[in-house]
Amino acid sequence: MKKFIIIFAILTFVASVFTQAQDVSQLTAQCAANAGDVMYLKDFVVKLDQGTPGGAPPTARFALLLSKSVVYRFSICSAPNSDGEAVLQLFDMNTLLGSTFISATGKDFPFFDFKCQKTGVYHVFISFKEGKAGEGVGIMSYVKKL
Amino acid sequence: MHSLFLFNKNILRIMPKVFVYLMIILAFVAVSCKSGGQGKDAGLEIPDSVLNAGVEISEEVMQDIVQNISSPVEMAAMIKDLGVPYSNKYISTTDRVGNLTTSFQQALNLGFYAADLGYLNMYNKTSAVVDYLTAIKTLSDAIKVGQFFDFTTLKRLATNSKNLDSLMYISVHSFNQMDKYLHSNNRTNLSALMVTGVWIEGLYLGTQVYKATPNKDLADRIGEQKLTLEQLMLILEKYRQDKQYIKLLDELQLLKELFKSVEIFVEKGEPQMIEVDGMLSIVQGDKSIIKISPEVLNNIINTTEQVRNRLISF
Repeated sequence: MKKFIIIFAILTFVASVFTQAQDVSQLTAQCAANAGDVMYLKDFVVKLDQGTPGGAPPTARFALLLSKSVVYRFSICSAPNSDGEAVLQLFDMNTLLGSTFISATGKDFPFFDFKCQKTGVYHVFISFKEGKAGEGVGIMSYVKKL
Repeated sequence: MHSLFLFNKNILRIMPKVFVYLMIILAFVAVSCKSGGQGKDAGLEIPDSVLNAGVEISEEVMQDIVQNISSPVEMAAMIKDLGVPYSNKYISTTDRVGNLTTSFQQALNLGFYAADLGYLNMYNKTSAVVDYLTAIKTLSDAIKVGQFFDFTTLKRLATNSKNLDSLMYISVHSFNQMDKYLHSNNRTNLSALMVTGVWIEGLYLGTQVYKATPNKDLADRIGEQKLTLEQLMLILEKYRQDKQYIKLLDELQLLKELFKSVEIFVEKGEPQMIEVDGMLSIVQGDKSIIKISPEVLNNIINTTEQVRNRLISF
């Protein structure tokens, strides 16, 4: 009986890992489709824990190389079971270039387009509002040549 | 001595159970992963994790550098947007796949074919796509990342021109998944080769198209590859202890010398945020200006062709 319980626990664990991987894959495909009539280039899958009270919200960071004269689209999607709502921000060094959440107006956008005029390394930051825990995916797509 | 005896006795008692559990896990994982183990094992192969042991740079930093260093579709997309017609002269042939026996060759050529596949997909050349899918499947299985390449679905999509978006998405996503998997399994040396292959083939495509139909935008795009090459060489330098990487770096150095004459300036400006019909758009204020003389451009075009052709027969 004990042996059966151990085997069942192992199989459940392995199955949950694969189910999770499938969920992420589905979320990525869905998010890429939601980005509209654009061409998928890259995804940024994040899973963040809840932040500490008063501390900065946990943030995932990704460095990217973007090319001049290209319009890129940055989209964000939160997993359905996510506590927090994901926000994607694009930075050039310390300058915030764009965000899917505009704090001044409280408005959310599923994506934003970035008309790149300078080839170089940029950073995508993904966090969850109010430092909540969550899972999500950011998508970078090619829109057109400027 | 007594405690050692007891320890051994306990081990012997629990060993069969441990073995059974271990076998169940392995069997389950093997079935679920559909791991591509069809690749050739040419003699004694040094595991990638051992090859990586001499790497000084942390995986976190590597991840930071590598993201989107070169995309298998971006150069092709730009060329198509310029209205340049398709030509099969710009892509490599798939008849060499059987001769690629080392993981170095396999990963590098996987990059070449991924870029070629991006170009074919972009121009909806579905009849030729299957050969490239087969080549990528063979090479990805050989370096044990074939489980991320859904060959059956891709082949089915390739036979129907209406599924171009899905074909494009699954192709690029599969490539990204392979890259991520190699990173998370301490095989960044192979990831670096795949990315190098994509970049070289993309540069070759861009330079060959420029040769046939010169265009200012394309000249700029070629010139700004100076920045990508710098990033790429930074990554590859970490594997200099391997002879094959030294040869690769020597080839890329030829291009780096030429790119030194390309000047890139930045004009500063403030970014603008525009909202139209609920859609948010950001126009970058900074602007880069690329200065590249016709002579330098010509040298880059010729050297790229030579380097790419040598790398193909590496």
